[in-house]
Amino acid sequence: MNFTDSKKKLLLAGAICGIIAAVLAKLGNPANMAFCIACFLRDTAGALKLHTTETVQYVRPETIGIVLGAFGIAVATKEYRSSAGSSPMIRFLLGMMIMIGSLVFLGCPLRMVLRMSAGDLNAWVALIGFAAGVGTGAFFLKRGFSLSRAYETNKISGTVAPALMLGIFILSFVTVGGVALLATSKTGPGSMHAPIIASLIGGILFGVVAQKSRMCFAGGIRDMILVRSFDLISVIAGLFVVMLIYNVATGNFHIGFTGQPIAHAQHLWNILGMYVVGFAAVLAGGCPLRQLVLAGQGSQDAAVTVLGMFAGAAAAHNFGLAASAAAAATADAPAVAGGPGTAGKAAVIICIVLLFVIAVCNKRKTAK
Amino acid sequence: MMRKKEMKLVVTFHTTADAMAMEKACKEKQVPGRLIPVPRAISAGCGLAWCTGLEDRKAIEELMKDIGIEEEQIHECLV
Repeated sequence: MNFTDSKKKLLLAGAICGIIAAVLAKLGNPANMAFCIACFLRDTAGALKLHTTETVQYVRPETIGIVLGAFGIAVATKEYRSSAGSSPMIRFLLGMMIMIGSLVFLGCPLRMVLRMSAGDLNAWVALIGFAAGVGTGAFFLKRGFSLSRAYETNKISGTVAPALMLGIFILSFVTVGGVALLATSKTGPGSMHAPIIASLIGGILFGVVAQKSRMCFAGGIRDMILVRSFDLISVIAGLFVVMLIYNVATGNFHIGFTGQPIAHAQHLWNILGMYVVGFAAVLAGGCPLRQLVLAGQGSQDAAVTVLGMFAGAAAAHNFGLAASAAAAATADAPAVAGGPGTAGKAAVIICIVLLFVIAVCNKRKTAK
Repeated sequence: MMRKKEMKLVVTFHTTADAMAMEKACKEKQVPGRLIPVPRAISAGCGLAWCTGLEDRKAIEELMKDIGIEEEQIHECLV
């Protein structure tokens, strides 16, 4: 099916992704986290013991499925292009920053939209930062920002990222001396998940639809700013509407800043965290979801960005950069406001400075 | 109401910055056309392309040679 020849079909593509997310939410994924690329890569990084925060360790088949789904559909439709060479180390850094910004807000742009659809006003506040970040990136694109072109590479090279993802999935079943090789959370968000097969199928379908529709949260706003095109944002709108209906129908819609699952109400840091994500995603040419899809269809530059996200997740949890979620008081513990600590706040500021340096220093070379 | 699609000349580039440079050069030299998202039918990528009338092919090719922008491909497709 061609998803892209009309806005209605683009809306439909988003709606399908919304239905997948709704089903996975119903089947056990954490609240308002039916599908979050940053959280799920972070959980997978934890499973690989790149960090050891016990509540967020689990190989999420969804992210693996996205890469495999995008790879499969790209091969089947002859759109697989093995390419590399567009400033990979800068992309690695951008990947790290996308993850650090996401974990200060507590979600990637996809989860931001899911949280928005559940009435979490903190996500609406974060949208301001995200849009401003995309706008800043678009400003630098207009001024000639470029990470230079990618070149075609050996076909096999582009299959490494999908193969690694498949490898992680297989390793998640391996035990050594009766002990699982990879870590799995017993409590916390990492312990909440849909059945593995549902997650994998959901991820593959999501990857296929995202590849066909070129779904991208940063690209949607970027194209509105740069070329007044509403195509990519239509996909996001479809996703939002379906999740809104699902949340209202199932009683998950609670409008407000407090009492939201896995969220905090530190407005400034929600805005700045997502500012980093929006800015970095435009410079990298796509949001976290889009990076997974591009990695699946052969872009090793996107695969390096994904590796950067893994490293960013490890740094965020090993060095206390990730925000904590707000929690109401219980009989045993007082209320927690949540939000990033000093290290997380410092990291966000450093990321913003670094993004401006990258944006200013990487200009298109003129041939003459 | 949906706009009727027409056959157009669509130039894709290796980088978004090249597309931006193209827009700037075309504006300066008053060559017609506009930036559009790369049509899905011609690419799975998500960059920007330059869209103009089929009759402007020569002017576009000359301009690109003149200012040193290399196209990825030049397509004729419904936009």
